[in-house]
Amino acid sequence: MTALFQILIFPGFLFLSVFGLVAEFVDRKLYARFQNRIGPPYFQPFADIIKLIAKEDLIPGEANPKMFRLTPLFALASTVTAFLYIPIWGTNSVYSFNGDLIVVLYLLMVPALAVFIGGWYSTSLYARIGSVRTVTQLFAYEVPLFMGVLSPALLANTWSLNEMAQFYSRNPWYSVFNLIGFGVSLVALLGKLEKVPFDIPEAETEIVAGSFVEYSGKLLAFFRLTFDIKMVVCASLLAVCFLPFGLKLNPAVVFLLFLVKVFCIVALISLARSVAARLRIDQMIRFCWKYLVPLALMQLFINLILKEILLK
Amino acid sequence: MGQEEKIREGFLAAFGYLQDKITIQRSRRIFVTVDIEKFAEVFDFAVKKLGFSVLCVITGLDEGDRLTFIYHLDDGSGVMLNLKTGVSKERPVIKTVTEYFPSAEVYERELVDLLGAKVEGLLPGYRYPLPDGWPSGEYPLRKDWIPENKNG
Amino acid sequence: MAERDKFKIPVGPQHPSLKEPTSFSVALRGEEITGIDVRLGYNHRGIEKACEERTYIQDMYLIERICGICSHSHSTCFIQGVEEIAKIEVPKRALYIRTLVGELERIHSHLLWLGVAGHEIGFDTLLMYTWRDREIVMDVLALLTGNRVNYGINTIGGVRRDITREQMKEVTRAMDSLEERTKYYIKIASEETTIIKRLSGVGVLSKEDALRFCVVGPTARASGVDHDVRRDDPYAAYSEISFNVITDNHNDVYGRTVVRLKELMESYKIIRQLLEKLPEGPVSVKVPRKIPAGEVVSRYEAPRGEDLHYIKANGTDKPERVKVRAPTLANIQAVKHMLKNRLLADLPIVVAAIDPCFSCTDRLISVRGEDEETPGIMTWENLHSYSVEWYRKRGLDFSKLK
Repeated sequence: MTALFQILIFPGFLFLSVFGLVAEFVDRKLYARFQNRIGPPYFQPFADIIKLIAKEDLIPGEANPKMFRLTPLFALASTVTAFLYIPIWGTNSVYSFNGDLIVVLYLLMVPALAVFIGGWYSTSLYARIGSVRTVTQLFAYEVPLFMGVLSPALLANTWSLNEMAQFYSRNPWYSVFNLIGFGVSLVALLGKLEKVPFDIPEAETEIVAGSFVEYSGKLLAFFRLTFDIKMVVCASLLAVCFLPFGLKLNPAVVFLLFLVKVFCIVALISLARSVAARLRIDQMIRFCWKYLVPLALMQLFINLILKEILLK
Repeated sequence: MGQEEKIREGFLAAFGYLQDKITIQRSRRIFVTVDIEKFAEVFDFAVKKLGFSVLCVITGLDEGDRLTFIYHLDDGSGVMLNLKTGVSKERPVIKTVTEYFPSAEVYERELVDLLGAKVEGLLPGYRYPLPDGWPSGEYPLRKDWIPENKNG
Repeated sequence: MAERDKFKIPVGPQHPSLKEPTSFSVALRGEEITGIDVRLGYNHRGIEKACEERTYIQDMYLIERICGICSHSHSTCFIQGVEEIAKIEVPKRALYIRTLVGELERIHSHLLWLGVAGHEIGFDTLLMYTWRDREIVMDVLALLTGNRVNYGINTIGGVRRDITREQMKEVTRAMDSLEERTKYYIKIASEETTIIKRLSGVGVLSKEDALRFCVVGPTARASGVDHDVRRDDPYAAYSEISFNVITDNHNDVYGRTVVRLKELMESYKIIRQLLEKLPEGPVSVKVPRKIPAGEVVSRYEAPRGEDLHYIKANGTDKPERVKVRAPTLANIQAVKHMLKNRLLADLPIVVAAIDPCFSCTDRLISVRGEDEETPGIMTWENLHSYSVEWYRKRGLDFSKLK
């Protein structure tokens, strides 16, 4: 019973949906304010999802209907699952085992693959190009993201998010050493979330909406929701790994603080996408391998040395 | 002697038969009328020797039983040479100028679609500007062509 | 390989990156463009034919509607041709006002372009900023002419409205704030890395190719072709105004951006001079309805490049022939060349960089009557009953709604 509650309501699906949609609102509102616009009212993301759910589902005649319908669900399920391993109040998550950090990273990769498969099976030309771009981009941002997120774990000498949080709650100032990793992960995250300057897979003016070109109604609503949830889950992961402040306070306060951290990361994402133009796919890959990966390697190297010095 | 006069002299030195076919309408506007048989050499001369290296557009006109074509050429400094030539409606054949000006393709297609000219040497391609389903033999810019619904 | 070359994607007639219908059929190998077919003519409205059936005054308003952005360019180009045939001496003040509106139009068009270019490369913030600032010039145009687009200020023999001292002050004030904003955009364009990355080296058109393809306007000037009708073949009040023709030798989309931004600064300069020198006097003269026989080629430097009208009069109140060559038609052929072996991601910005205006280009539909020969066209009533039927099949009855 508790498990069901945790999976479906808190901190699972329902909480995450609301959290994700609020984060979308924060993102859109800030983006609008940066652009000197008024921006949407607070209920806009909710209204969008409700409207989409009320709409008709259209499946292209040549598409594989089974795959076409299933991929949004795969994407949604894996992102929600990933959140269960993230400690959101204090240093405890719902489930935990040694190595859950890796599992979370892998689960967060599933939506990109789901988008690829969904786009590919929808047989639209734009969707195919978008799908291929999604996967091409995946190879560029995943490596720096992995290295960036694993470096604080390296310092904490654990692969478990809970133990990592405990380590940093004992020594919060150690997280200062991970600043480069934070920067690298944040930039790689823009690629993962397909936000400008890395929104290449859905570049509206080139390939209309990429993989989602044929999606409509409920299925599109699921994808939209997945991306909102993915944004908060990724932001939570970064908050846990790089911003371990105030973890010893009252759990309620820690939880509130956690929300603030997540929204701060969302705000950084909005800022990034309002000051940059979309790169081309070749430029994006070059950028990731030329600048992000060496920086991430440097971070790993620093942490290896620090580990020897500090923990001895 | 103004530059327009010089251009006139240039033409006359090469082609004596243009004696009274050249009008200087005002500064920077020269009109030259050429027979279709002589058109190619005069055009070549204007482009290559007199430096009229920019083709602005080709205008087609329906003048009763003849079609007139005006090639508007510019020398890059604002002087415009308008080379006029005409063909009969029974045999409205002109030669393409796309080897001089690749951009002339659309202008020539327009003449084909709207006035029913035949352009020799124009490579096959999409028609312009009329839709594919347009009936053949209907040329909207000819004077005897009346749209079906007069009200617009 | 042959099989893969057949991967063709349609960009247009309807596509988010195109604001007007045209069609590019793009053959791709991966992301690389291997071939491109351009299909024009979706906006053919029969304007040239329609002009032959209307009087000169009616034509002027029709021609103003060839394009929504450079409407003043077309109408000015047309009437200055008619005035030349009829040998009308247009009052100086009218010429100045025409030039003033023309330059304001150039400002609004270039700012619009900058926003669209930003959107094409995914930089929506630039779009929002420039279109906000464009409102300033739109307001000024509305103040002077009563309209934001299709100003309707021209008339054969002059202009229809005079401008007052207060309006002139308002224009000067607007120019000051726009100049400041434009300096900011020039700074952005020269400093922002992602913009430079996306624009430089893209859509390259060498000077030789620019001359070969006879491109016009900012596209030509960004390839180092020093050609501007305002200076080379002065019309309206340009012979009395000093300004620079902006050229650039980047030869790419970045160069075209720079040229347009610098032209904005020149426009502010021109407008200040116009307001300073604005002569007193009447703004229009009376013109007979019948225009004597004659022919004329009229040229005008529209924001997008040289606009050219050929007008032939036959002595009646209707023209014998009106031919319009909009700048885009001259530039579109070069686009194919610029895109060869480039990436798909460059297509929108390269197409946008010539500032295409397909409505101008096509101008000429003759609707073949709303008879049974036109399948697929639904009237409003048909559409309404179809939707009622559609919902009834799904158990909803909307037949009472109107």
